[in-house]
Parts: sequence; C-alpha cells; structure tokens
Amino acid sequence: MRQFLAVQAAAIKADIIFLFLAVSVCLAAGILINQFRESPLPLAYKTKAERMHDSVQRIAAQDPIPASAPASHLPERLNLELFSVYVEKKQGVVLDARPEIFHRLGHVPGALSLPRDDFEKGYAALKGKLEADRSQPIAIYCSGADCEDSGLVKKSLAALGYTNLALFEGGWSAWTSAKKQEEVAP
Amino acid sequence: MKKFFESRWFILALRVVLGGLFLYAGASKIGNPLAFADSIATFKLLPPQLLNVVALSLPPFEILLGILLVTGLQARPASLGITVLAIVFGIALGQALARGLQVDCGCFGSGQPSTLKTWGSFARAGLFCLAGVWLYFQNLKRRSPENP
Repeated sequence: MRQFLAVQAAAIKADIIFLFLAVSVCLAAGILINQFRESPLPLAYKTKAERMHDSVQRIAAQDPIPASAPASHLPERLNLELFSVYVEKKQGVVLDARPEIFHRLGHVPGALSLPRDDFEKGYAALKGKLEADRSQPIAIYCSGADCEDSGLVKKSLAALGYTNLALFEGGWSAWTSAKKQEEVAP
Repeated sequence: MKKFFESRWFILALRVVLGGLFLYAGASKIGNPLAFADSIATFKLLPPQLLNVVALSLPPFEILLGILLVTGLQARPASLGITVLAIVFGIALGQALARGLQVDCGCFGSGQPSTLKTWGSFARAGLFCLAGVWLYFQNLKRRSPENP
C-alpha cells in the first residue's frame, strides 16, 4: 500500500491542489450567487431567535405596541385534548408556525399560516385579523413536540403585545398521529 | 467477488449513484442557504462567523463534485473530495452523537432534528466514505503513464 501511494504521490498531490482550487471557486461562486438572491444572506450568521427579535423590532417600529393589555387567560400549554376542544369549538385563532409549504400540504382545520422562517411577511398578511384584538386567544403549533418554531412565534407575538397565547405542545405530529381532521390549503 | 467490485460497470454505476446523490444534495440546499446555515448551527461546531460562508459555498461544491463524478470529467479528484466531505461530515455527526445533541443533518434539505436520523446519516456518511475511497483507488490503479 505504501509503495503504491509512493508511486502515485504526484497524482494525489495534483488531486489535492485541484480540490483546493475547486473549493476556492465554489466559495467565490456561492458568495456571488448570493448577491443575486431576492434577499441576500448576510455573511454573519444570526440565530433564529435573533432573526425573530429583529423582525419584531421592525414590525414594532411601524406600529407602536399598545401600552396596556388585559391579562392572559389561556393556559401556557395545551395538550391534545384541550387543543382539540379549542379547535372544534373555535375558541380562538390557531396559528401554524411551520414553513408555509407544509401548511399548504396540510394543517389543523381553520389554522392560519404564520411561519417562523418568514415571520414578517406572514404577520403582515394576518395583521388586520390579529391586531383587531391583541387579547384574543391564540394557540400556536409547529411540526412536533421538539420543534422550536411555535415557541419563537409565541415569544415574538408576546413582544408585539399579544397577551393570550398558548402552545399546542404535541404539534402537527401529535395531531396527525391522533388521526384528527386535516385541512389542505386551496 | 473482488472482480465484480472492480468491474467497469460496477465502477460506472457507483460513480453515477454517488455523484447523483451529491448533485441532488447540493441542489436541494442551494436555494435556501439560510435553512442550511440553521442546520449547520445545530452541530455547535463552527463559529457563527463561518456558518453562512459554509452554507453558501458547500452546496455549489457538492454540485461540482457530483457533476465531475457523474460525467467522469475529473472522477479521481471528485471521489477524493467526496471522501473528504464524508469524513468531515462523519466527524461532525459523531461529535454530535457523543455530546447528545439533537442535530438536523441538513444533507438533503432541512428537516426536524432527531437522534435516530442522526445515526442514519452517520451510517450513510460511512458508506459514502467507503464508496469514495474505493472509487479513488480504482481510479489511481487505472492511471497509466499515457493517461495520468
């Protein structure tokens, strides 16, 4: 093996140089392609929570948050049983924090899409409905029990002055596992 | 058996499958670098300053390696590149499993982090590495003085 590698040393060296060049070209191409995107990715990474915070700041700068708001009366977390009753009796708004494409493929009946990954756009679309009453009950869910999207959307809505927020802790996976009714976006 | 694994048709099939997978992996991520950066961040391995740069440059690199391997234009360096990527990826997954992190592999687009999927990705990285090493050495062996 060693002898084989020694004989092939020049070829291996050439391959390594080729790969270094390829990496450099791809680095440049990636950064160049990024400049032509609708919203270029900044070179410094921001966490999901930081990006949500920025979105909330921009929304709040356009519409000042009301100074006082009524106290919350929905429990912080809803299990499947409580959430099912909430949905069936239409006790309040249901928000789907998953990416919009997943919402289109199937969601809890009556749920509105407010994706974590496109919060500002989603919020602008629902603004009229949501801002009419910032104390209305709002239940939020994402893909499962471990996803963080619903928690981040809840935190952002709380920062925007919404007071009656709850998380459906099982998320979409618990809903579908229980074979509950699904709705597909038109 | 060894003869089969060294046969021209097996090498060609391996090249097309492995290259095709890398082509698909790169193409599925290039459109949404932010989601890919979020996936890389779950590994808690790179400093934040590097995450977006890697998320922007890795998908084009995977696409390039895939094209070079499928077409056979530069199959030898491409198989070496795939081996190196599989090793790096295996190390990243291994450290995540050892630290008990819930990571989103992000290999073929983004998904939900899960330990089971991480083990699956770890095994897949091992297979890619084996395939890459095999292709690389077969290419080296077939190198002749007229065709370096």
